[in-house]
Amino acid sequence: MSIQQKVPVTILTGFLGSGKTTLLNRILSEEHGKRIAVIENEYGEVGIDQGLVINADEEVFEMSNGCICCTVRGDLIRVLGNLMKRRDKFDYVLVETTGLADPGPVAQTFFMDDEIRDEFSLDGIVTLVDAAHIDQQIGRSDESSEQVAFADVLVLNKTDLVSTESLNTLEMRLRDMNRMARVIRSKQADVSVDTVLNLNAFDLDEVLKRRPTFLEPEYPFEWTGVFKVDPGRYEVSLDEGPDPTMSIVVISDQGTDESSLKEGAETSVRLYAEPALSLAPNSIIPIEKHVTLQLQSSGRKSFIVEATKKGTIGMFTQHTAEEFDIKVRRLERPTEDAPENQNETSAVSIDTERVWVAEHEHDDEVGTFAIERSGNVDPEKMNAWMGQLLAEKGVDIFRTKGFISYEGESRRIVFQGVHMLFTAQPDQEWGNEPRRNQLVFIGRNLDEEEMRRGFDQCLI
Amino acid sequence: MSDLKVFRPQGMLHEGWSAQVDDYAIVCGWALEGETLVVGDVAGGLYAFDNIDGTLRWQQSEVHAGGLLAMAIHPRGSTFATAGQDGYVLIWDSIKGKTSQKLKPGKGWAEHIKWSHDGRFLAIACSRYVYVFDANGDEHWRSPEHPSTVSAIDWSKPNELATACYGRVTFFDIGSDIINQKLEWQGSLVSMTLSPDGNIVACGSQDNSVHFWRRSTEEDAEMTGYPGKPSQLTFDQTGQFLATGGSDQITVWNFQGNGPEGTLPGQLSLHPEQISSLTFANRGPLLASGARDGSVLVWFVDQNGDGNPLGGAFLGERVSGIAWHPNDRSIAAIDAQGGVSVWPFKIRSQAPQKDNS
Repeated sequence: MSIQQKVPVTILTGFLGSGKTTLLNRILSEEHGKRIAVIENEYGEVGIDQGLVINADEEVFEMSNGCICCTVRGDLIRVLGNLMKRRDKFDYVLVETTGLADPGPVAQTFFMDDEIRDEFSLDGIVTLVDAAHIDQQIGRSDESSEQVAFADVLVLNKTDLVSTESLNTLEMRLRDMNRMARVIRSKQADVSVDTVLNLNAFDLDEVLKRRPTFLEPEYPFEWTGVFKVDPGRYEVSLDEGPDPTMSIVVISDQGTDESSLKEGAETSVRLYAEPALSLAPNSIIPIEKHVTLQLQSSGRKSFIVEATKKGTIGMFTQHTAEEFDIKVRRLERPTEDAPENQNETSAVSIDTERVWVAEHEHDDEVGTFAIERSGNVDPEKMNAWMGQLLAEKGVDIFRTKGFISYEGESRRIVFQGVHMLFTAQPDQEWGNEPRRNQLVFIGRNLDEEEMRRGFDQCLI
Repeated sequence: MSDLKVFRPQGMLHEGWSAQVDDYAIVCGWALEGETLVVGDVAGGLYAFDNIDGTLRWQQSEVHAGGLLAMAIHPRGSTFATAGQDGYVLIWDSIKGKTSQKLKPGKGWAEHIKWSHDGRFLAIACSRYVYVFDANGDEHWRSPEHPSTVSAIDWSKPNELATACYGRVTFFDIGSDIINQKLEWQGSLVSMTLSPDGNIVACGSQDNSVHFWRRSTEEDAEMTGYPGKPSQLTFDQTGQFLATGGSDQITVWNFQGNGPEGTLPGQLSLHPEQISSLTFANRGPLLASGARDGSVLVWFVDQNGDGNPLGGAFLGERVSGIAWHPNDRSIAAIDAQGGVSVWPFKIRSQAPQKDNS
């Protein structure tokens, strides 16, 4: 039997009116050198002669065990089973679903059926979002939040009908639900074909290239600035900003390299967990205390930081320095004979700064989180944990992606899963790269802490 | 050493003829009392080969726009039917290779066709409906809408048609237009076969199991543990054995006595890859099987459902269909690359010295 490459499949989802048909037409009419077979839903209206267009009935079949994770699209199995025999006619498959479809059964079809699994590979899930209506839809139906949660690419369409401000808010909301998806804005589904086909969406490295902070934990502060200081008093002044108060933690002897910054961040996280001391302008900010600066009054407000020795201070602030135009100036030591020196100042520039992923409220039940740990995992423990996790929580876990490092295996083990179905296969060689593990989960009401603990127990 | 059962060849596949069609061959069948082998490919090509030497008698191309899905040879063999993605069913003259009728039953793919045993009716499954046409090409009966696309049909009696779809098998009396029996089970039934006496209905299921019912008692049972989908099912003509695919082994369930519930099935292992085609001979306990790797084997199934391979051949490509000649003296096999092969098949009798055939 000849060994052939599996045919990649893209699933196109989105609510009615989100622009699926427009996008489909664009993909089919563009010169991209691919011969695409399209499996349309029963209400599809693609009027294009070229390529294979096949209508399907969206028959969702539950198995006798009643498990939703074993639910598949029976019509797809039939249609793909037939397409399989015509492989010389096409080299890509696009599956369009109706707006009300849960993407789960479509994606699961590519895992559940052995013959389909042998011939086709799920390349990615593209969800079109109608920027003008999605806000209401997400609140109202499970399907639309699931379509967002399942997506590898979210095409935020009809952006011309919405203000930039609400687009930004919407994009934030979508990213909150699915931090792994790439978000693309478009007016009339005018996105380039490359962004929806051949995604290799299960390649986490690609995701990280686009969004390097993706796997970072969230912090209660957004910004850190490190300043070089001599013994003396320093004025920290802030302009009017978006909020009437801002929290800050000041740490002395803050290092400027990445690991020192992370160490400082960890200290600050602990301090941020303590009750804040409320400070009026012109007060002295105590070192290593959680402080809330009162910024209600108009104009620029000043606070004092006292440095006892030559070195550095680090400020971990709730918002970025830019938002409040934070400035630091050295105040001359006031002497008894020249108290006017208090106002003689010289600006201190920032030595090092770093921005953190800020933690914020998660309104939607659907969300993403990532586990990143260095080292190796024990394959048996990992299998036991994954098996149990997916058996118990598979219904609420929409997607799982990632890679792990098994002891004694020279290659990365790449994971991908839909609900409780998952595949794990060896991928590239580790070489000299330090061994590490990344797992990303998108799901509904996931217990992040418990899952992290579970994973940590698999580490060797 | 004495425990070793040495395989004793009892028969073999002799070199016959081979031919090539233009695309993935998906259907084959013997017409004209075995004088002609008709082969259809996925693109809608039809070919008629001479039984003796494989000479191409006639050929048609693209008979169904979008592709061919099914073929059924009329019991008398002088005509046959094809069905396709264009929704049409064509009736062909086996000798000339010309169409005599063109039927358009309903919307969607015409996916399954079956002649009634007496040849009076042709049943056609189209999406969620089944239609029965008579010899004049008129619609004789139409089923109510099924809850999902019909996945298999078969005639259980001259006037009774069985249909399988998601969740149920239904027996329709097409004469009086009533439902004689409905057997329900929540699962996606992908294939169906009936025992020759019509009492047992067996279905391959999407969740890697075989589900069967006894019509007389409505008792059902589920055979699980298949690594793949057991869509290949075949009963021998006595109704004692049900052979099933769904793995690289053939699993043979024995319906004699209290079986197969609680019994161990026979297992025929020799194919290196998953079974793709399976069919019992018209007479006798002979089973032909094909696999995804292209291996073709003929087995002698013993009283326990175990068996010995009698002969084998290799096509090199996934075996997509096997058809026993009406006299069981040769088998035809087709493959995914359009290969067509016919092997004369001989069984040595128990006492070879008396063999003067």
